[in-house]
Amino acid sequence: MEEQMAKIDLSNISHTYNPLDPKPTYALNPFSMTWENGKRYAILGPSGCGKTTMLNIVSGLVRPSKGEILFDEMPVTDLKTEDRNIAQVFQFPVIYNTMTVYDNLAFPLRCREFTKEKIEERVKSVSDTLNLSSFLNSPARKLTADQKQLISLGRGLVREDVAAVLMDEPLTVIDPDLKFRLRRNLKEINEQYKTTLVYVTHDQNEAMTFAENIIVMDQGEIVQVGLPKDLFEKPKTTFVGYFIGSPAMNIFHSTVSSDHEVKINDTTIKTNSNLGNLKDKNVKLGIRSEFIELAEKEKSNTVKIKLTRVEDFGNFKLLTGKMGDVVIKSKVEREKPIPDGELNLYFPPEKCCVYSDEKLV
Amino acid sequence: MSKLYTFLKYFFITFWTVFVVAPFLWAVSTSFKDFQSVNSKVTYIPWLDFEPTLEGWRVLIKSPAKGGVDIVEPYFNSIFVTCTASLISIVLGTLAAYALSRFTFKAGFVRNNDITFFFISQRIMPPIVLSIPFFIFLSTIGLLDSLLGLVVVYIVLLMPIAVWIMVDFFNRVPKELDETALIDGCNPYQAFYKVVLPNSIPGLIVAGMFCIIFGWIDFFFAFILTFTEVQLLPVKVVALNSSITPWWSLSASALVSVAPLIIVAFIVERYLSKGNLSGALK
Repeated sequence: MEEQMAKIDLSNISHTYNPLDPKPTYALNPFSMTWENGKRYAILGPSGCGKTTMLNIVSGLVRPSKGEILFDEMPVTDLKTEDRNIAQVFQFPVIYNTMTVYDNLAFPLRCREFTKEKIEERVKSVSDTLNLSSFLNSPARKLTADQKQLISLGRGLVREDVAAVLMDEPLTVIDPDLKFRLRRNLKEINEQYKTTLVYVTHDQNEAMTFAENIIVMDQGEIVQVGLPKDLFEKPKTTFVGYFIGSPAMNIFHSTVSSDHEVKINDTTIKTNSNLGNLKDKNVKLGIRSEFIELAEKEKSNTVKIKLTRVEDFGNFKLLTGKMGDVVIKSKVEREKPIPDGELNLYFPPEKCCVYSDEKLV
Repeated sequence: MSKLYTFLKYFFITFWTVFVVAPFLWAVSTSFKDFQSVNSKVTYIPWLDFEPTLEGWRVLIKSPAKGGVDIVEPYFNSIFVTCTASLISIVLGTLAAYALSRFTFKAGFVRNNDITFFFISQRIMPPIVLSIPFFIFLSTIGLLDSLLGLVVVYIVLLMPIAVWIMVDFFNRVPKELDETALIDGCNPYQAFYKVVLPNSIPGLIVAGMFCIIFGWIDFFFAFILTFTEVQLLPVKVVALNSSITPWWSLSASALVSVAPLIIVAFIVERYLSKGNLSGALK
């Protein structure tokens, strides 16, 4: 069988669940996006931000209110789910209770009328990958929740010709150890078969370790698409800053004081952003707690804080301090001695992000 | 404490069992008695207390010309009407229930729940309210006093039960199951009969059981809508009664009319006790 994966184009897609309302509320605001063939994508965002709607649009379970979907330049918007080559795995295991594990895995192939030998070969290969070989003849309903989820995954992976495998928080019910192994398995499958994988999650670690490209969504809007590194170092909005990273990005209310400088309370911080053109002088300064350094003494770009709490996480310490009423968090190495009371923190200018109207300048 | 609890538990179970089984045993015993053994003094055990006779049973299969009452034909009539009506009700009811569970209907202010309630509301009305409309309806289409007419009426009575049980059942089957089947390459019809239906067997069995029971025990419509051509079992059994109550043949006919339900109960019991009646998926 020839492998026929596809580039997936979402063009001007938007969706509302109440189209007849005079003022419909949009679950997805208009957006366009391209999923390249054979890549791993993660869609990351809080609950109810439109992640699942987006997946359902691609798989055809939901028809978008507006816009078009193209697989390899071929419009498929009006194609039914069963005619699109998409595999989808849901958050909770969905198995065919009345069938054996083997029949479950074979079902997608049987629906598409593959030959018996081909089915056997594919089921064997997938069950080996997912460690299901020893259960093939048991009834699927007798398995544990995580094994059931493996079956769901397996049904997605068993077809070689899928345009993409869409996964909607598929590892929620799987225990952490197996989760880690499975994520690696998925990566291997992606590298080996060049299957496009799209992975919806609200867990940033899962997204960061799994995907090459992360799509961050909030309230039906795509906020940022990029590599894990970009999202971490240069979040495009304060939302991404809050959402990605643990602890969340430090974000301070500040005012622009010159072309490259902002003021938090009375402390001036130099940044690499060009702030000369901003009309609104009230901005926000964002910096990751990872990038804030301990400084020996006061110098330029340092702030003086009063230490309020030190939390030891084992591999690092999290300092929480206050400058007036502004709370600052900083991650420091475990070995570093922490002086009591007041200390100086250095903000490297290249790591400082300035947000005007919640968007990166 | 726990001993007392165990004792009470067994005591009540035993008590209840006797309560339920005793009338059956009494009926079995009575069915073998003759006039003398029933009316002279209380007797219980055959051969010891009274001389058993098969007269009560023979009457049931003897033709009326020979002084019997012949419940064989009504028996098969009842089986035919009940099974046909139940089967059609289950098929139609399941399809209706699936649609009501999976699709959203809007017609004016009417929504899915209103349609479901409309089905159930057919059972809320006292049957006597329906008797005249049914009578006129059947006589208009010429199906009064016919098996087909009874089947039609029983479908009206049984389908609400099937819809009601199956809507509830399908609502508990996650929508993702259908969606997965679609994604795996089934068309919506295949998804229904290859995936959803096999998962709904416990529900179908329970719905089928209720249909059969309610169809089988109905006396009212069988009584009103039939005269001489066609007779159903419950009507015939009641007709057994005469100036001298024939307790022996009444008992015998009661036993044979309950028998099918007992068989159904034993088949269904497996599904009920397994606890997979509800939440077949999780």
